[in-house]
Amino acid sequence: MVYLSQHRLSLCKEHYIEWYLKRVESTIKEFRMFERKDKVLVAVSGGKDSLSLWDALQRLGYRAEGLYIDLGIGEYSQRSRLACERFARERGLELYVLELRKEIATIPEIKEVESRPACSFCGQLKRYYMNRFAREKSYHVIATGHNLDDESATLLSNVLSWNMGYLSRQFPVLLEGDGFVRKVKPLVKFTEKENALYAFLSGIEYVEEECPFSEGASSIEYKRILSQIEEKSPGTKLRFYMDFLRRLHPLLRSEKVNLRPCRVCGEPTSAEVCSVCRLRERLSSRLLSSSPSS
Amino acid sequence: MKVKVSYRGQTLELEFEGERVRVGELLKALGLSREYAFVVKGEDVLEEKDTIVDGESVRVINAISGGYI
Repeated sequence: MVYLSQHRLSLCKEHYIEWYLKRVESTIKEFRMFERKDKVLVAVSGGKDSLSLWDALQRLGYRAEGLYIDLGIGEYSQRSRLACERFARERGLELYVLELRKEIATIPEIKEVESRPACSFCGQLKRYYMNRFAREKSYHVIATGHNLDDESATLLSNVLSWNMGYLSRQFPVLLEGDGFVRKVKPLVKFTEKENALYAFLSGIEYVEEECPFSEGASSIEYKRILSQIEEKSPGTKLRFYMDFLRRLHPLLRSEKVNLRPCRVCGEPTSAEVCSVCRLRERLSSRLLSSSPSS
Repeated sequence: MKVKVSYRGQTLELEFEGERVRVGELLKALGLSREYAFVVKGEDVLEEKDTIVDGESVRVINAISGGYI
């Protein structure tokens, strides 16, 4: 039996899976994320959230295919890639693999020229390549496995710094336009534990290991703090996030950003040259300066 | 009593006083909260009040993950 304190529910394996699938479906409908005719690209990492999402969408009859971005982080990336490939093969699903090494450079290589935390530029690169891939392959929507713990930790961080720009963009659906494909987060109402339980009970073999670059990450601290509150007052996280979406988010005005195609790659950007192309330039100049002169 | 715990690719052997240990106590000994972690035995998810006896093997799943915000 599985006990869900914030829902005051005790469920056996079969009923837990049924409950989970119904909740994924109702979240997709509540936020008008996509319909059964739409082609969905699921961004998979090999972890519990994205593989549970792909599994659920497939079971619910959606046209969902996977994209794995190989970040080139040693054994961690190798294991993650294998988990995604095995998952797709066992279910007869289409998985695309995009290697960062071939597109620009691996995350450890980029870390040598970048002063920002790896998670920061890694996220930016994933969003860039995911969007380009989805647009070129005519997907209607990109679905990611962001969960309630991710969203409530991000919300707490944005509230603590009153980052109005980030708050106005924090929503489970970001509509398409200006060269961007629609992005959705169908698992925003599930905690990480609920996703891990679904993965375990559904026999999904996912990578439990954490990315070596995420050690000491700030989001884990926020998640721990929120879980302490949740332990004393079950349901707080869900209420914190959902009430933000219902009550505060409609009052926030998103600032209009003037986007134009990047002069180098043509992807949408607010600058003349996008951040990925600027990073590529830095990488090439470093390579030139470190190569022996003839 | 001793319990074998498989946790994030490692096998740990934990020792407790008495003949049995509750799931909640096992999580506490690992510094984990029931809010983001759970214990499984074979194919079953154990409840917090369930007990584990001497020599049993269990797996602990910690669902927390994340990067920089």
